[in-house]
Amino acid sequence: MHSDLSFDNDASRHFVPLIVAVMVYLATLALAGSMSIGGAVDQWRDAVRGSMTVQLPGRPGGQTSPEAVANIKAITDALLATPGVASAAPLPDSDIQALLEPWLGDADLPADLPVPILIDVTLDDGVSLDPKGLAQRLAVIVSGVQVNDSGASLERLVRLARSVQWVAGIIVALVGAAATAIIIFAARAGMSAHRKTIELLHLIGAHDSYIARQFQFRLLVLSLIGGVLGLVFGAVTLLVLTLLSSQVQASLVPRLSLTAPQWAILAMLPILGTAVATVTARMTVSRSLRQSL
Amino acid sequence: MVRFQNVGMRYGLGPEILHDISFQLAPGSFHFLTGASGAGKTTLLRLMYLAHRPSRGLISLFGRDTTTMKRRELPALRRRIGVVFQDFRLIDHLTALDNVALPLRIAGAKKEAIGAHVSELLSWVGLKDHIGARPPTLSDGEKQRVAIARAVIGRPSLLLADEPTGSVDHEQGLRILHLFEELNKIGTTVVIATHDRDLIARFGRPVLRLVGGELSVHRPPRVVAPSSALAQQAGGL
Repeated sequence: MHSDLSFDNDASRHFVPLIVAVMVYLATLALAGSMSIGGAVDQWRDAVRGSMTVQLPGRPGGQTSPEAVANIKAITDALLATPGVASAAPLPDSDIQALLEPWLGDADLPADLPVPILIDVTLDDGVSLDPKGLAQRLAVIVSGVQVNDSGASLERLVRLARSVQWVAGIIVALVGAAATAIIIFAARAGMSAHRKTIELLHLIGAHDSYIARQFQFRLLVLSLIGGVLGLVFGAVTLLVLTLLSSQVQASLVPRLSLTAPQWAILAMLPILGTAVATVTARMTVSRSLRQSL
Repeated sequence: MVRFQNVGMRYGLGPEILHDISFQLAPGSFHFLTGASGAGKTTLLRLMYLAHRPSRGLISLFGRDTTTMKRRELPALRRRIGVVFQDFRLIDHLTALDNVALPLRIAGAKKEAIGAHVSELLSWVGLKDHIGARPPTLSDGEKQRVAIARAVIGRPSLLLADEPTGSVDHEQGLRILHLFEELNKIGTTVVIATHDRDLIARFGRPVLRLVGGELSVHRPPRVVAPSSALAQQAGGL
């Protein structure tokens, strides 16, 4: 686009793309983090929805001891007789050993170690049971029985995750506000630098829109360059983090893997940033021009 | 065409530079505006080309009161005024062609029409070989001619020139004045601010004289001078 204003020597030529690149980079990471946490929350919820765990006191010899077998049968029968319970089955020793592996290592557990017995309970769709009442009823059959409602502890985790998402959202908003302030500053600095030419254009008969359009286009180009650079660096960072997070063996740590629609949302950031910059530049310049004759 | 009624002008809270200026310019007239340095010539011109609103009084251009006119209505009026600034005010990064084309581009003329008109005008003012040159590479006389071409490309009804001969030699100054006379002959109202008494005497046009911020109108007798030969050269400026 032809420009009557000599923008090539402006300081904004360098600092606007740089600042916008940093802003888009930060926004990309914050948004990607927020979306990953959101995905993890959904996965956690799916995993524990409609399930409970009943824990029986451990007995030396594990589930094979006669006492343990009797206890398991009694509790399982009681559970299956409870309305709303779809299934109840003890976790095999191998699964329990896998759960303990992070703390006790992968060696065979000593036979005399009283490892708790876990019974996985699945509820009918839409059913929720009072864990305290169920525990009291089962304790009559086998003393020391505990009922763990995974949903309750998960909700605390979900609240934490949602808080992190809010913080990420606030970061994106602050980044947007800072970028807008920078564009306003750049537009005003540009107007100050080109004051004489702007006056000349007015005196020759230019409308404000003719002048504002030139600033708008200039900042559009600079913002787009910065935005694309920020996105590219952000994407590279995310790919590295994705690779690193895939090597972490912790079920509750959210895996940083984004879906195609989520990548598409991130790709919109430079476009959104450019649109905001363009509108901001136009409004700033138009408002300033109205102060002149 | 131009009408000032009791116009006073001051910048901010400073002293009044122009006091009770009243005059009227008929369409197609040709006037010199003169006065000592600091007399307010440039300020009077700035009021005429709508760079300022007066502190008081009324200014009417083309039959319209500009003092109460809405800001958005000014561009249309400004497009009917051609201005040759004392310091040329060319845009350094644009070529001579683009500088001259500026008023047409602002007015929304089509690219093809702009190219043809501007090239023709630059040839007329003797800058055919400098169409692609940028102002920093031009001499003062060449810059002056680019500025004049820019002022007249839109066929203005009113042409205002602030010391158009100030940065060129006497002979070239005469050529420029003859060019303005040519434009005046085709109906353009011309006002030229100058403190060159020889030029004023040579052309014998009515003079608006500013003294101490007050205006008086004189019509000096035309001095017969061997300017006819120069007049013929005006076409080859």
